[in-house]
Amino acid sequence: MFKEKTAMLGKGEIKYFVGGTGRPLIHLHGAGGVRPNAGLEALAENVTIYMPVLPGFDGTAEIAGIDSMETLADLVADFIDKEIGEAADVLGLSFGGWLAAWLAVRHPSKVGQLCMENPAGFRPKDAPAPSTDPETRMKQMYAYPERLPKETKSDKVIAKNLSMLGHYHGDTSFDEKLASQLGKIECLTMIMHGTRDGRVPEEAVQFLKRDIPRSHLIYVYDAAHSMETDQPARFAHLVADFMERAEAFLVNQGTTSGRPQQVL
Amino acid sequence: MRFSYTHHMPYTGVTEAGQDWPVANKQFDPKLGVEMFQRYIEDKIYAEQAGFDWIGSNEHHFSPYGMMPNPNLVGAVLANRTKRAGILQSGNIIPITNPIRVAEEYAMLDVMSGGRLIAGFMRGIPHEYVAYNVSPDESYGRMAEAIALIKKAWSSPEPFGWEGEFYQFRAVSIWPRPVQQPYPRMMMSASSDASARLAAEAGSSAGFLRIVDFESTRQQIKVYMDRARECGWTPKADDVMIGMNCSIAPTYEEAKEILQAGQKYFFGVLGGGIRTAQQLVIQKTRYFKDKGAAEKFAKKATVQREASFDERVEQGLIVCGTPEMAIQQIQRIHRELGNGRMNLSVKIGNVADHHVTRTLDYLRDIVFPAVRQLGEENDPAQAAE
Repeated sequence: MFKEKTAMLGKGEIKYFVGGTGRPLIHLHGAGGVRPNAGLEALAENVTIYMPVLPGFDGTAEIAGIDSMETLADLVADFIDKEIGEAADVLGLSFGGWLAAWLAVRHPSKVGQLCMENPAGFRPKDAPAPSTDPETRMKQMYAYPERLPKETKSDKVIAKNLSMLGHYHGDTSFDEKLASQLGKIECLTMIMHGTRDGRVPEEAVQFLKRDIPRSHLIYVYDAAHSMETDQPARFAHLVADFMERAEAFLVNQGTTSGRPQQVL
Repeated sequence: MRFSYTHHMPYTGVTEAGQDWPVANKQFDPKLGVEMFQRYIEDKIYAEQAGFDWIGSNEHHFSPYGMMPNPNLVGAVLANRTKRAGILQSGNIIPITNPIRVAEEYAMLDVMSGGRLIAGFMRGIPHEYVAYNVSPDESYGRMAEAIALIKKAWSSPEPFGWEGEFYQFRAVSIWPRPVQQPYPRMMMSASSDASARLAAEAGSSAGFLRIVDFESTRQQIKVYMDRARECGWTPKADDVMIGMNCSIAPTYEEAKEILQAGQKYFFGVLGGGIRTAQQLVIQKTRYFKDKGAAEKFAKKATVQREASFDERVEQGLIVCGTPEMAIQQIQRIHRELGNGRMNLSVKIGNVADHHVTRTLDYLRDIVFPAVRQLGEENDPAQAAE
């Protein structure tokens, strides 16, 4: 479904994947790199998804001078310019959600609507750190690990992907510099949080809801951190509805929408 | 030991036994209904004066079995007319109701009572799903999701939306918020393994209300305790509530005669039609998650019908007799089950209201003072092992 392409940007070249039908949507990946899955495939029925591989992830080369969240956001803005040519909707998962907020702060004209999916980067200092115990980590990441697509990446690539997080944001868990600028985000924003997400604390998404002016916080029931694989249909429906109807997504469309209306 | 008083507010003007459900409401005499409501409300308020810690109200539909399709209306009166007792809503039938409405009304009750709400989340008895046209197959799924949503509605300081399997809301921010933070105290039925686990997962106190013997109840309590520990918390004795019918009189014979007649009316007239609809739901749907749970439910009903009154008193399944006997019975229940709370139903069927009041007086004057200390330090898990 998703085709691999290359984008020539001002600072260097990056790989990206694209697929789907409809208006463009930039998907910024999390710590695992680009991972096509059932949620993204369902979403691609309504939007054209562009998935840039951020430099250093998934076996790609790092780019000189791209070594912080700010410079990475500038690179994504350049990607939007070169490959889409107008403002695009942006969806970021975890680390990608953090990056998406930087993009909206630094390049507001490039972002149509913003969607932050279990976003990292806003863990309060007094919140417990995510577990490093493998079994606990699995539960925090996946409500339904059996729904994960088959792993195609080598251990070496997975380890390098994780190391790239430090490359871009050091050991920061609460990005104070970005947090102080959230009020500058002008676009309509949806913050999504899985009710079983053990990696991003409740306080983080409450903080974002409070400080981003035109934002909506939506809990996705029975999803952990990997929302796209835990609840692909809910994820895809919610994002597509938000992107298509903007503020009007608050209003029940009734049974004519093609989706069964809630009975109660 | 702490005590809860639940009164179903039955309509006792019906005389014909064995009517099918839903029971035709042409038999409801509004004048009699007004009198009953006034009397029952005063009775519930009197329970506080009689020393009960909680006063319970519950939801049933389309039957003289109980006149509280919305128990929150009664809870609101009690919140206003009482000073100390917990307002136990036991409860709203969560899977057939709009969960946001429940969150809002419960929050109102908590504020109106100054933080005295005990928020009951019940799955209901099977025929209620016919009343509100909700699939019984979905009862567990709706229950689990609705509880998660209600807790979020109570605790989220910022507006939020919800994308779930059964419920979708895009903008929620309830007013008022509850007084008890982050949540009001919760109470759930734990009469099956699945419901015991669900109560533990929700962090709720648990009610064991249809007891057929001590051994199976101990097992049920163990399921609840074990699952709670897996979820990272340990219920106290006070979290384990055992439900019993209760009748106290100067002699065992009189207490028995009163309660037996009330039960006969309850099962024959008030409960008769419900059983028909109940069987339909149980047999034709997946109201219970597995066949074993359905069989256990059916067995409970059979055991209750087949055992004689005296046998059930002997087995410790009814609190009945003189005040001294009631003390011994409650002590035995606590010894066997380790509970720190009991729910006593005194108005069973058409038991006369003056008999109800007399039982409450015996409880206040003789029984409660003798058993108050029970369960203060006890761990019900130890009794269950």
